[in-house]
Amino acid sequence: MSLCRFLPTPSERMSIIWSLLSIKDSLILEYGPAGTTHFSLGFYGKFTLPARERLFTTHMSEDDVVMGDVTRLEEALKELDVAYKPKVIFVVASSISVVIGTDIKGVCRYMQEEVAAKLIPVDRGGLNGDFTVGLREIYKILVRSLVNSATETKAGFNILGASAGSFRVASDIWEIENLMREVFGLEKKACLCYDTTLEEIGQLGNAKINLVLRQEAQPAAEILFKKFGTPYLITAPYGYQATIAWLEEVGKTLEQEAKITVISRLKQKNERLAQYRMYTRMFKKLKMQAALIGEYDFIKGVSIFLNSMGIDCKYKICSHTLKGIKDIAEDIIFCNEEKEKIVIFKQISDSLVIGDEVSLGICADSNTKIIASSPVLTETSIATHLPFVGEKGTDFLLEYVEKYLQKQI
Amino acid sequence: MTERGQALLKKMTRLSAVKSEKDLPQLTQALFPGTHCPLMGAIMAAGGIKDSLVVIVGTDECAYYAKSMTVRSEKFGGIGGRCVSIVLDSHDVTFGSLEKTEKAFAEIFHEYTPACVFVVTTCVIEIIGDDFDELSERLSIKYNIPVLPVHTEHFKCEDHLPGLERTITACFALMNKLPCNHKVNILGQRLGDFNATELNTILQEAGVEIGLQLPSGCTVEDVKNAGGARANIVVNDIALPLAKLMKEKLGIPYTYFNRFANPENIYIAYQELFSYLDLKLPDTIEKLSEEANCLADSVQEQLQGKTYIYGNTPYDVFEFNLFLTTQGMVPQVIQTNRFSDNDEFNARSLQVFIDPYLCKSANIAPMRYIYQELKPYLYFGHEYPDQLRKLGIAIVHLDAASNLLGFEASSYLLKQIVAAVQQAETFRKEATL
Repeated sequence: MSLCRFLPTPSERMSIIWSLLSIKDSLILEYGPAGTTHFSLGFYGKFTLPARERLFTTHMSEDDVVMGDVTRLEEALKELDVAYKPKVIFVVASSISVVIGTDIKGVCRYMQEEVAAKLIPVDRGGLNGDFTVGLREIYKILVRSLVNSATETKAGFNILGASAGSFRVASDIWEIENLMREVFGLEKKACLCYDTTLEEIGQLGNAKINLVLRQEAQPAAEILFKKFGTPYLITAPYGYQATIAWLEEVGKTLEQEAKITVISRLKQKNERLAQYRMYTRMFKKLKMQAALIGEYDFIKGVSIFLNSMGIDCKYKICSHTLKGIKDIAEDIIFCNEEKEKIVIFKQISDSLVIGDEVSLGICADSNTKIIASSPVLTETSIATHLPFVGEKGTDFLLEYVEKYLQKQI
Repeated sequence: MTERGQALLKKMTRLSAVKSEKDLPQLTQALFPGTHCPLMGAIMAAGGIKDSLVVIVGTDECAYYAKSMTVRSEKFGGIGGRCVSIVLDSHDVTFGSLEKTEKAFAEIFHEYTPACVFVVTTCVIEIIGDDFDELSERLSIKYNIPVLPVHTEHFKCEDHLPGLERTITACFALMNKLPCNHKVNILGQRLGDFNATELNTILQEAGVEIGLQLPSGCTVEDVKNAGGARANIVVNDIALPLAKLMKEKLGIPYTYFNRFANPENIYIAYQELFSYLDLKLPDTIEKLSEEANCLADSVQEQLQGKTYIYGNTPYDVFEFNLFLTTQGMVPQVIQTNRFSDNDEFNARSLQVFIDPYLCKSANIAPMRYIYQELKPYLYFGHEYPDQLRKLGIAIVHLDAASNLLGFEASSYLLKQIVAAVQQAETFRKEATL
């Protein structure tokens, strides 16, 4: 990408840190210039991730950079170990330490003998790709380094791939929990990686099933499957029909029938969606179209739902690289150049546009806009009961579809 | 007394042992939250130059945070405003970023019409060694517009102030000696509104026109016309290199008129300024001086023996601490990242009265042990009020002083301290101290 006029896509390092901050009792030490850490506090604060006395930096001087001196890092590790007595310290690289070739893993290896906390190196400096690359990496690291051996009896379910960077992630988790409780009587055990603890992550091997909301968590799910035999399901349910299918699939995996009353309720709601197709027949001039901007799995799921109502999803623009995505849908694109995206956004009119606040701002006011992905500029996500997934998520999306139709008819 | 508190105190240095910035100890190697970076300083400075464009060359992370800072800023024009970036990836680190930058500049000049461009390079660029000075010269010629490089690598400096300093110093490239227009330039106002200050009122009443206000609000044209000023007023150290350059190359004298706490220093600064302007010192200044001195005298008893820890304020560090010491207060710890030749006089004068601990600032996590150890009445700077209250400490809030220059800054300071001392008395009772 050459010129970036708005906000760049968050880097791998940023997603690594927001994931680690989501583990409430972890300590993070960045080996890099202090300014980046201080600057980042506002960004992580927006995700309501507490960083006070959890996210530390060593800073780096010119001597450290020129001579490759890591004394500062060694001392900082000893200090944190004594002052906070943490179970784990994640040692995160910076762009500088990566460029000068600091061996973070090596330092952690020999420093492990001098500290009580478990040292987990994360030698990613933000130059290898965007946040999805970081999420994939950190989920694997967490599973490999923190998950204990499994208990004989398995219980409950885990959510994998929930990330603080996803808009309204807390609500999505809430909805998945509600559905699993109501339909299967199961409780959430751990969530990789949002609003969790080291202990919960350590117990990831004990669940009956792993529900993978984003493909970035698939490698971690595979590790857990190989190690503990935990089956996993990769999909996030958007729309009533998808929620039914998802619940049935979960039931099949658990060898437990999905509660029929819930399935019937969802089927009834789904049947009511037929009216939207009817509108297009009634109002010949009505052209229902949508544009989706956001994370791949979100776009894919929501577009299937909207298509089922006769809404043509003309533009599906992924907010991150498609590298690592399996079976990429042909019509979901990633624009390498920001300019390409801007050209597309400016063409969109009289549509239902679901995306991030920056992209929505560029789209014309004739559109009906829903903020559903990051980045958000003015919005603050406080509510934890406004999901996009599942039954409630579909109810919520339909309110906007109605609003859009009122505007169009 | 805690073991950790004692150990941390031992890491501090007494003022008498500090000869240069390198002698300032860092309390711990693990910092929270750490200092701001010079990239932020550069953005702050360029924000005040209305028709300039800022181009950040750095990682996604640098670009993201810097842009976020401008998103809600009217000065920058919001999300689509005049702060853009060229984002580096691993390919650029290996093969260089100059080609990418040239390509991006073609887009910039197609889409924007800036009067000047600041190319702000960050840490990685300085390590890989891409020659942005040469490129900026080439782009200036190619597009017939000033393209000014500003280097903001954080591993060579302590905080964000060099970013401000380098950005405004870079503006010298736009200046030429011009016929005198009898205006005064205000250099270095990084926060607050100069128009709201006492100094501005005094100048207006004396019929003195204000020329360039850098970086608090100007255009590129104002910068170009700055060479015609009668005098420069330096209101913060960040403008000293520029003022010195302007004095040396353009013959424009400057008055150092920082946000002083001591009324005597303020009076001297006014005197020097009006002598450069060839104007009689206005009577108002005598009156304001008398009022400020009276206030200082009247509160002295209340401040006697009151201990404090200095974190960060909009005032000049050592001038501030010296003045409070002469008022009878007791600085226990002074946190600062700077100790320059300009500080020498005030620091040594302070040392005559007291020899406080010194350490670097922006590392509040270990400070809580120090609070428990030293039990000060007051804390100057940003901290968590509830946590300090539990320790019997009141915070003195001075952010509003950014809008003050002149005797008003002194009076405001004293009034805030008196209020905080009263609060501290209550908090200390709560904390059974």
